Amino acid sequence: MNGRLVAFSLCVVLAAGGMTARLFALQVLDHQQLSRQGIETRVRRDSVPADRGIIYDRHGAQLVVNRPVWSLQIVPAALPGDARVRQAELALVAGLAGVSESRLAAQVAAAPDLYLPVIVATNLKPEVAAILEERQPALPGVELEAAPLRTYVDALDFGHVLGYTTAAGGGSGKAGVEAGLEALLHGRDGWQDVETSSAGLVTRVLRSEAAVPGDSVYLSIDAGLQRETAQALRAAIASANVKAGAALVVDPRTGELLALVSEPSLDTNLFPAGISIADYARLLQDPGRPLYDRALDGQYPPGSTFKMITAAAALEAGKITDQTVLGCPAAIQYGGWVYRNWAGYDMGPMTVERAIALSCDTFFYTVAERVGDTALAAYARDFGYGTAPALEIPGTAGGYVPDRAATPGETLTMGIGQGRLLTTPLIQAMYVSAVANGGSLLRPTLVDRVVDPAGRVVAAARPSTVARVPVSAANLEVVRQGMHLCLDDPHGTGYQFRADHFRQDGGCKTGTAQYGGSGTDLPTHAWFTFFSPYDNPEIAIVVLVEGGGEGDQVAEPAAVQVADYYYAHRAQIRSH
Amino acid sequence: MMLRERWYERCDPLQVVVTGALVSLGLMTLYSASRSEFRSQLLGLGLGLAAFAVLAASDYRLLARTAPWLYGAALLLLLGVAVAGHSALGAQRWIRVAGVQVEPSEVAKLFVLVALAAFLSSRGRLGRRDVVVAIAIGGPAAVLVLRQPDLGTAIVFVALTLGLLFLAGAPRLPLVASVAGGAAAIPILPHLLHGYQRRRLEIFLDPTQDPLGAGYNLLQARIAVGSGGLFGQGWLHGLQGALGYVPERTSDFVFAVYAEQFGLAGCVLLLALFSVLLLRLVRAARLAGDRFGELLCLGVAVVFFIQVFQNIGMNLGLTPIAGIPLPFLSHGSSALVTELAMLGLVQSVLLRRPARYNPPPCLPPPIRFRLSSSAEASSSA
Repeated sequence: MNGRLVAFSLCVVLAAGGMTARLFALQVLDHQQLSRQGIETRVRRDSVPADRGIIYDRHGAQLVVNRPVWSLQIVPAALPGDARVRQAELALVAGLAGVSESRLAAQVAAAPDLYLPVIVATNLKPEVAAILEERQPALPGVELEAAPLRTYVDALDFGHVLGYTTAAGGGSGKAGVEAGLEALLHGRDGWQDVETSSAGLVTRVLRSEAAVPGDSVYLSIDAGLQRETAQALRAAIASANVKAGAALVVDPRTGELLALVSEPSLDTNLFPAGISIADYARLLQDPGRPLYDRALDGQYPPGSTFKMITAAAALEAGKITDQTVLGCPAAIQYGGWVYRNWAGYDMGPMTVERAIALSCDTFFYTVAERVGDTALAAYARDFGYGTAPALEIPGTAGGYVPDRAATPGETLTMGIGQGRLLTTPLIQAMYVSAVANGGSLLRPTLVDRVVDPAGRVVAAARPSTVARVPVSAANLEVVRQGMHLCLDDPHGTGYQFRADHFRQDGGCKTGTAQYGGSGTDLPTHAWFTFFSPYDNPEIAIVVLVEGGGEGDQVAEPAAVQVADYYYAHRAQIRSH
Repeated sequence: MMLRERWYERCDPLQVVVTGALVSLGLMTLYSASRSEFRSQLLGLGLGLAAFAVLAASDYRLLARTAPWLYGAALLLLLGVAVAGHSALGAQRWIRVAGVQVEPSEVAKLFVLVALAAFLSSRGRLGRRDVVVAIAIGGPAAVLVLRQPDLGTAIVFVALTLGLLFLAGAPRLPLVASVAGGAAAIPILPHLLHGYQRRRLEIFLDPTQDPLGAGYNLLQARIAVGSGGLFGQGWLHGLQGALGYVPERTSDFVFAVYAEQFGLAGCVLLLALFSVLLLRLVRAARLAGDRFGELLCLGVAVVFFIQVFQNIGMNLGLTPIAGIPLPFLSHGSSALVTELAMLGLVQSVLLRRPARYNPPPCLPPPIRFRLSSSAEASSSA
């Protein structure tokens, strides 16, 4: 046998030996690791999203619907291996689903885990979903999934209360009740380990854990009253030719919110399917700042609506009595500065009740000066100023209480709710409720009860008192009388109610709060606070129109409309 | 006494047995991977057995005279693909003959092999000129196939030409020079290669750089092989193959599908069968009655060698990915027919060798001859 044949035969034996060695390495030494890698390739853990709980109003009116919609998903690892075929498939899918081809490719390329589906389009039109479903067998890696999409029934009226979910994290709440009660609404997502073919089709389910549906939430909100409040506030804002405001209706006996509105509202239905960059930019650039919940987070000077606190502080501190009569000149001089009344004439001597009713600024300058800055600040805190109320939903602000006056004059301006003092509509509502109910500062609450999927009530709201206001019942009654007079007195600022032939009694206080500096002729926020009936009050209303001008002219009509609606539908709202 | 061997004593039954085993394993693997391709492979097997029988029965020496015509036909076929070819997966490799898709590059392997063997056997001692002429015979076929593009088959043509020259005893210097020349051409190969071929070469060097694209094939093949373990997952129980993770699971990566199901034991068996077959081809070359027959057998051995080890090497990540079918296992009627035809040719060479070149495997012939002649002598004395 010649040498070259021997060499060739040797090559055969060596090659076979080499291959055997390599086989030994792969099939024996690396067997465990490669088997595991194979399982990791074939088996994928799919999340099984839990059915999200429904949100109802206090009577069970459904405020949100889980609407089934189709979404398009791509499993990058299951796409065709050949780059050209893959590109062609992505182009075809992008065309069918009506999404940008480059964006689709970028989404697939940016996938953090090649074996997990990437959602590339949601809320597909039914006809698009049908076409995709038909062609799916020839499109490896493309999956269609029907998933419930959160849909808000009256998105604009309930915008800030309900908040919204976003597509991220399998649909978790990002604002409002959706965020505040996320843990209860979400339920527990399940999972299943599925074996898939290389085309991404599930061949069998290996293990699974069922999802536990979320609890349903019944709000204390009355849907009808909420809609009426939103509508009334929008009208008030429009009448003042401004953009923003807030309105709340609270039960002063329990702290339950019956209506909670911030304007401008936002279309929360934009979010659950994943908001487009253009839509989000529009929301961010809207001069009305619709993402901002003014009812909870908007901080404004309270203006004259603060005068009940000044009065209560002075009475309680013994600086005045209900009989004390002080003048109400057009202006007073203090420390070299002139402090003016809203009216440009002397309104004559008056008691504290009448001063509240007529909202005499000069009366309260004098009273505040007697009480002093620290005591006034302490009483403000006692009525809830300076502390963010604990509500079930995030985003409440605390306002600001200046404990020491920066200048001697600040004590005076604080007496009429100006200066650095800041409040929020929610704080105002709880403060007015405390005045109305005889001194209990209540914890505001938005949730009436939580019901699990089996229908059992797992949690129910109970009235909870944050603190007792350190004002005697007699003194508080003087303040209440002032508010009552405001509604009833021929000269009271609550004339709109009388003009509107409002038949119930109660109490109110207007506010026209200057902002944006110091001096005269500054822009003003229009405030209105109200409670009714006078004995054992059932509702407290707060209306704010941002930059709206005079409280009695702009904010008050909205409160009248809401109060009228309440009494017209009282039995229905109170049926429980 | 005149020793006349029967045909069944001259042929190589072991080659038939080994081939039968390989074909059976191939059919089993194809059955597990794709029923439709299994059925079409049965058709190829029928045609292949017919080709095997016809070529074994006819005199291979007739081929030496028709070699130039066969070579011309091979080039025409390959040109025909370029002109009228039917493309699949981005490559033009097939032509339609009477409604059946034929892959001419497979048939061309046989024709070019015959042409090379005929030319080299017509020369006495091989010189430098002969090396050049042999390369001129094999080169055009390789270039035409590369243009299809089919890197794998082009490699087979290059290996056939150089391997046969080596085994035929071509002078060392020009042989080394042409191998070196070929090696020097590799740096410019990326420019000749199509994008995806170049990519494959790069991926071979680092399979993790593209786990989704070309590297995916390699990774999934490796996972399938490794999942096989010692004794395999069992026939029809290979998940990686069945669920489609192994790419090209009936052609280029059929070995991975086989390895997953039959494990190290099955793979060693397969390698042993191929090795025995190759060594039997070398034996046939040694027994051949003439130079042409010897070179035919060696050419067949070279073709099988490169196909078997390039394909399995690629499956194991030892050699770059180049689409070469694994003989008897990969799906493809043209390939199976060509492979069986080649073995038929080898049997024809064995059947037509002179008797005196047939020593029994264990005992050297002179001893046996001496014993019988001495017995004759004693009886006459």
